[in-house]
Amino acid sequence: MTYKSRKIKIEKVESPSIKIDDMVIEIGEVEEDTWDEAMGPTPKPEWMDLRDWDHKLIEKYEPFYSPTCDMCCLCSFGKCDLTHGKKGACGIDSKTQQARMVALECAIGTAAHGAHARHLLEHLIERLGVDYKIDLGMNIAVEAPIYRTIVGSKPETLGDLREGMDYSEKELQHILSSVHTGQEGSYVDFESKALHAGMIDNLVKEIADIAQIVGYDFPKGDPDAPLADIGYGSVDRKKPVVLFIGHNVAPGAEVITYAEVNDKIDKIEVAGLCCTAHDLQRRRDSAKIIGPMSDQIQFIRSGIADVIVVDEQCVRVDILEEAQKVGAPVIASNDKMGLNLPDRTLDNPDEIVDDLATGRAPGVLIWKPEKVGEVAVKLAEKIAPIRAKYKEGSLPSEEEVKNEAARCVSCEKCQRACPVNLHISPTLKEAANGNFAPLAKLREKCIGCIRCESACQRDIKVLSLIEKAAEAKTYSETYKIRIGRGPILDTEIRNVGAPIVFGEIPGIIAFAGCSNYANGAEEVARMAEEFLKRNYIVVVSGCAAMSIAEYKDENGQTLYERYPGTFDAGGLVNTGSCVSNAHIIGAAIKIPAIFARRNLRGNFEEISDYIFNRVGAVGVVWGAMSQKAISIGTGLNRWGIPIIMGPTGTKYRRLYLGRKDKPEKWKLYDAKTGKKVDGEPAPEHLAYAAESMEEAMVMIAKLVMRPNDTTRQVKLAHYIDLHQRYMGTFPDDVHLFVRTEADIPINAKKKILEIIRKKGWKPRKIPDPTLLERMIMKKKEAGK
Amino acid sequence: MEAGPKKAIPVDPEGVAKIINRAERSSLAIGAMILENDRLIEFVERLSKAGISIVATAHSIKYTTERGIPAYKAGVVEVTNLLTDPSWEGFDGKGKPDVLLVMAINLDLENATFESLKNYSDVKSICIDRYFMINATYSFPSLTEEIWIEYLERLCQELGV
Ligand code: SF4
Ligand code: SF4
Ligand code: SF4
Repeated sequence: MTYKSRKIKIEKVESPSIKIDDMVIEIGEVEEDTWDEAMGPTPKPEWMDLRDWDHKLIEKYEPFYSPTCDMCCLCSFGKCDLTHGKKGACGIDSKTQQARMVALECAIGTAAHGAHARHLLEHLIERLGVDYKIDLGMNIAVEAPIYRTIVGSKPETLGDLREGMDYSEKELQHILSSVHTGQEGSYVDFESKALHAGMIDNLVKEIADIAQIVGYDFPKGDPDAPLADIGYGSVDRKKPVVLFIGHNVAPGAEVITYAEVNDKIDKIEVAGLCCTAHDLQRRRDSAKIIGPMSDQIQFIRSGIADVIVVDEQCVRVDILEEAQKVGAPVIASNDKMGLNLPDRTLDNPDEIVDDLATGRAPGVLIWKPEKVGEVAVKLAEKIAPIRAKYKEGSLPSEEEVKNEAARCVSCEKCQRACPVNLHISPTLKEAANGNFAPLAKLREKCIGCIRCESACQRDIKVLSLIEKAAEAKTYSETYKIRIGRGPILDTEIRNVGAPIVFGEIPGIIAFAGCSNYANGAEEVARMAEEFLKRNYIVVVSGCAAMSIAEYKDENGQTLYERYPGTFDAGGLVNTGSCVSNAHIIGAAIKIPAIFARRNLRGNFEEISDYIFNRVGAVGVVWGAMSQKAISIGTGLNRWGIPIIMGPTGTKYRRLYLGRKDKPEKWKLYDAKTGKKVDGEPAPEHLAYAAESMEEAMVMIAKLVMRPNDTTRQVKLAHYIDLHQRYMGTFPDDVHLFVRTEADIPINAKKKILEIIRKKGWKPRKIPDPTLLERMIMKKKEAGK
Repeated sequence: MEAGPKKAIPVDPEGVAKIINRAERSSLAIGAMILENDRLIEFVERLSKAGISIVATAHSIKYTTERGIPAYKAGVVEVTNLLTDPSWEGFDGKGKPDVLLVMAINLDLENATFESLKNYSDVKSICIDRYFMINATYSFPSLTEEIWIEYLERLCQELGV
């Protein structure tokens, strides 16, 4: 099905009954159905269409709330105190208010991805035309699994994707409106709306990534996508450096294009922070990734960047102030971020360059990506020599570090303000005496937020001191990352579909999200390594994919160098930026489509039910920070995929926790018999926050279990082994996950049987599991 | 981390001991930070001997087991969730704790526990960590590490262990 406006022009018709002279007929939408798959029950579902599914999930996984705020101040009836049973002036209670805030956060995250997708799509349509073909190569026939399942159509051109965007924008408006005072009054339905927003988030991410893959010719699911450089040390500071921060690759892609066309590509460095860096590298592999979003202030303060181009999402909003300290001009390139800068979009590029290079203007707005391309390249070349002193070293000298550190009065206000509770003042004492090592060590866990500096009564620039202390290591290190490959190939799904559904490949672990780590970035890499060694499929994206790259083994190799990029057991698949993590869900959807031949078209519930019961995937958002992280995660939940966050995940106010002590919660239908049968807490939770990496790893191994696993042996063996390794004990709930003796790992069968029998274990049948009554009906009808 | 008008009451070790002595069932949740100071696990052992049930969250069960301290294993969000369920009868089925002490857990998760219990349960929560946690029912004030250890020692002595 396509969606295009059509104009029919009739210049002259003359017949005995009609006379037409120069007439134009315009038809807004034309549906041309070229897809022979039968339409499912919910094309372009409104919230109500999937509400029953949401309620099923929420009933199993009751929301756990931890109010970040006990008050509400959203309207002028308030502020209202909602603590412990109190209600607001509109009648809302605390749980409903928390769910309302979660729905709002999910809507914000979805809007960020959606506006990003719309901007990219329209920009690319303007450049390439509405009929520009979506072609992801020979090995991808199911090009947009999320789109097909939700929208119910098969996008063939960039213009077709507008149908999905229109739908998303409409739904988002409804969700957002329900947050208004005096609308939704049930926490369950607010949660359902959060889930709806999350699903839309996943859809618009897929649209954004497909558009940029075809529009900029990014890798199209290539398992052998090349390795490229990441790290501060990868940047050649002798060249003019253009730094991009954010998520929308359009201006960065134009910088590369301009530099290529004008034979300057080898003369400048194009580098990026946060997701836009992934996409720059997908555009051209010589682009450098500096690191995740938490490196912004540090890198800017280093003075290495000559020009800073910001686009959208997760950019520090005080960027202009920081850039000015090192004489770097800022170009704002997207309507999400104006920074009160003058709009110079229509001005002569050379005049803009002149104003910025001479410091007459600290920054400008340029709304046209092509013009950003020209201005940024010319400006970088012009300003780099002027900025030589900053580039040589903008961080304080060692002497300055000592003197600054000596001013510390050990009041510990910085530590109280520090979100990761770093013990700063003792390290400053050491630094004052010339020992920089403890101060340098802080960098491993520092998330670059500079709350310490805001809190310090002596105005000590703590982060700059840390950065200087750690300079020798940070600025010499280069790591290897595999370039974001985008989607998973249909051929790969064909290979792994059966072993995943049968439980032979123990699971798909997806590391995604931001770098708000409670205990340092290395933990993400160590978790990924653990599961790679155990032959799980590890899929990564966003800042998490970067953190994984910044970890070398004793041979100096990163995980990307040690593990192949294939979507297979023991493969490490970098899909790319945050929007490209849509392909992780896409892979889960392709399993029922390709392996089980289920129809995707407008068939959300059936596909999610399949994933929930059969596809052992878990999302890990270890450093969740943004509203996008919660909308992504909540979207995963609606597809039936559980997520595990780090401790900061509780600040979103809501988790979805199962109760393994309540067997009645785990009942499900056996699609073969139509009977409601006893199930098991698999997956036990839908949204969980773990405190430590060790806890998370054990939980991951548990949450990959699914009611349909034909064999549990492999999954249980890993769960037991990880539990024994990291918890030092045999897990106390194995009896819940053993259905028949065949599930028990052979090497310790006798011992395990003994343990679980003591817990009263009895064998039970493995059902053909479903949460949907209509799936039973379908089977019965098919059998008649 | 101030969430609203209901704020924790600062307590000293003697005050905590009084609350524990008045409670029907006290429980102590510990977590991944249990190794932050060498003496913490010793205090856990002594508090366990004072009849306080131990809930080992994160991977701290490893250390309680190594030391032979009886403990229930659960995630901190799991145990908090159970405590907000009025029908939950405790890990041993004999009744839900009415007092939860918290120590050596990541501060964000501690705070989440206190916020949740404050709003959705009648459980009294007591922070015996080294920072004043404003959303608990009672909390030690913010302390230097040295004084915090001294506080824990006083608490154990007050409880006779
Ligand atoms: S929205 Fe409701 S709870 Fe919030 S301030 Fe207004 S009346 Fe109070
Ligand atoms: S910049 Fe680093 S040290 Fe400072 S408050 Fe943030 S995380 Fe803590
Ligand atoms: S806030 Fe400033 S003076 Fe106080 S301990 Fe931290 S660095 Fe030192």
